[in-house]
Amino acid sequence: MDPKLTEVNQMFARFKAALARNDLNTCEILLSQLKVQLTKFPSLPPLFQQTPNAVEELKLARDIYEHAVVLSVKLEDQDAFERDFCQLKPYYMDTCGIIPPSPEEYPILGLNLLRLLVQNRIAEFHTELELLPVKALEHPCIKHAVEFEQSFMEGAYNRVLSARQAVPHETYVYFMDLLAKTIRDEIAGCSEKGYDSLSISDAKQMLMFNSDQELHQYITEEHPEWEIKNGFVFFQKAKESQPCKEIPSLQLINQTLSYARELERIV
Amino acid sequence: MGQDVVMDDSQTQPEPASAAVASPDALTPAHSTLQHLKEIASVIEAGSLSKEVRRISRAIRLTVALRRRLAARDVSAFLAFALPPSSDAFARLSVLVPKEDGSEMDVDTAATAVQVSIKHGLPEIEIYCYLLVLIFLIDNKKYDESKCCASASIVRLKNLNRRTVDVLACRLYSYFSYVHELTNTLAEIRGTLLVLHRMATLHRDELGQETLLNLLLRNYLHYNLYDQAEKLRSKAPRFEAHSSQQFCRYLFYLGKIRTIQLEYTDAKESLLQAARKAPTAALGFRIQCNKWAIIVRLLLGKIPERTIFMQKGMKAALTPYFELTNAVRVGDLELFRAVADKFSSTFSADRTWNLIVRLRHNVIRTGLRNISISYSRISLVDIAKKLRLESPNSVADAESIVAKAIRDGAIDATIDHANGWMVSKETGDVYSTNEPQIAFNSRIAFCLNMHNEAVKALRFPPNSHKEKESAEKRRERLQQEEELAKHMAEEDDDDF
Repeated sequence: MDPKLTEVNQMFARFKAALARNDLNTCEILLSQLKVQLTKFPSLPPLFQQTPNAVEELKLARDIYEHAVVLSVKLEDQDAFERDFCQLKPYYMDTCGIIPPSPEEYPILGLNLLRLLVQNRIAEFHTELELLPVKALEHPCIKHAVEFEQSFMEGAYNRVLSARQAVPHETYVYFMDLLAKTIRDEIAGCSEKGYDSLSISDAKQMLMFNSDQELHQYITEEHPEWEIKNGFVFFQKAKESQPCKEIPSLQLINQTLSYARELERIV
Repeated sequence: MGQDVVMDDSQTQPEPASAAVASPDALTPAHSTLQHLKEIASVIEAGSLSKEVRRISRAIRLTVALRRRLAARDVSAFLAFALPPSSDAFARLSVLVPKEDGSEMDVDTAATAVQVSIKHGLPEIEIYCYLLVLIFLIDNKKYDESKCCASASIVRLKNLNRRTVDVLACRLYSYFSYVHELTNTLAEIRGTLLVLHRMATLHRDELGQETLLNLLLRNYLHYNLYDQAEKLRSKAPRFEAHSSQQFCRYLFYLGKIRTIQLEYTDAKESLLQAARKAPTAALGFRIQCNKWAIIVRLLLGKIPERTIFMQKGMKAALTPYFELTNAVRVGDLELFRAVADKFSSTFSADRTWNLIVRLRHNVIRTGLRNISISYSRISLVDIAKKLRLESPNSVADAESIVAKAIRDGAIDATIDHANGWMVSKETGDVYSTNEPQIAFNSRIAFCLNMHNEAVKALRFPPNSHKEKESAEKRRERLQQEEELAKHMAEEDDDDF
């Protein structure tokens, strides 16, 4: 076996051991060394050179990046997640013919979908979704994220919250917690427009707070314009759009002049 | 969708008769195919010598018309006629064309009235030979040979930088990509296409850039690589379109990318424009455009008119989408689900399944809007029942869905949580707002824009009006001179 490959393998074994005992600092140090080592393999993307060890090297590199993604979730570092995922993606997309698909592929792709939802990058979410074959959509991890997005768009937040309890993979918990905050803000925004007032207990339940204390704190921090009176939360309605009394004269003049100019061109 | 989107550039309107040089139009059907090919070669030669790109495109159109009648012996005979026997190209191409024994060359070739002879060694002719062989091989389903021929031609093209070759090169690129699409090996040529696109950009070959950009977009979209396609599209240099067919294709791809990325308003614009601009003969392409445009309109919360589904030749293809539209219009989730299941194979084949999934949300919205218009007050339990929300906690779902619809401005209502009902607000008088003015403005802007586009699209045959005008001008000038002379004479008279 190639000595370089053996060395990286050993280092990766140490990394995995550190990850297993949750020694994240060591993991980080080892990971950056590993990534440097990986640059020395010519068979990896973007070169894809046909070397005798190509299959082993590709497998190893993919395994390393998969672990890197999991590590970034553990570290709660979204930027690192994006970086590692981008490095991992070519292994999923472009190595189909060379190495067998990884069992971790769909959980990680699902995780990425969830991240895009949390960061409210819906366009990218759909772009990623288009890349998945039909059979991938059946996988629980992907399905979870897709249904999640649907409920979210519809406004069925209860379903989103119940989905939170049934996570398909342990790494999903971190993003689910982040989503809870996003959902709370959404619900607050909707309630503001949908209701005139809500009783404190109802508001507490809707916004998923355990105590009045937390609710009060949330209102003072996020929505100081709401009013709490006689056990009710009153939402200060934004002024309804009044029927227009004034004629927007400047705009009208501009438009009419442009019509005249264009018509002159025609006649 | 494969060949549906293949749209032949040959379906342009016939060239005005003024361009008749050695016009093969006048040829009688008695002439052999070989003779036609020779005529075309002379058109190319004339185009090459006078540097008129128009003539070369005309030659291509004539070739496409001949396409059905091409036989192996015609092609080999033409190669022998057009290429010097010692040249590289001849050696390479003549191997690819299958030998046919038995029938000799037509007897009438020697006896034809116009004996055409052309200069050897023109690069245009050489490239034309490549193109002809490629078309012939594709039509005869010899894909491996076609690939060989296409690759060889691409290698040759890389060394040429002539504007008159560009037109031929574009067609070669298209067939190059088409062959690979037929054999499902598009991913392999992506690198080559990118290199060619860069080369075209450096040579300021705008036609080539246009064609290659479209081929690349098609290549990416074939594999659903929307991200890469958009990145390339947004960074590639843009200029005014040279070929309306290429522009149509570009608009279609652009519409698709924008749909996936949720920019529905822009997507609708591009798709409708593509459907309108496409030549009538390109039925498959127009059906694709319409399918996407229908979905985008539904996603925007609009209902496409019935006439769209009734267009000639499209009725059968658009039926699934018609039923889908109906379900969205009624706002019935049950019906929507049934339609989606019924036609799921069609939608998967059209690769619109993911978009259909997105529509569910619109169905709910429409249903909700209908409820809000019909009832001034309705309980949330009834809303959940009417929308057929199937979940264990449907009332709470209904409440949050209504709340979101209110926030997004889809309905105008308030919710009474304590009593569990929704109260719709009186609809205000639209005519007291600026709404009508805005609608009026957008319609006028659309009409004016259409007029301007139409004016821009008019084509004038070069030089044909010049002579007439100069004759007129001369008369005018003479008249003016005469008047001036008269005037001066009068003035002279006045002086006295």
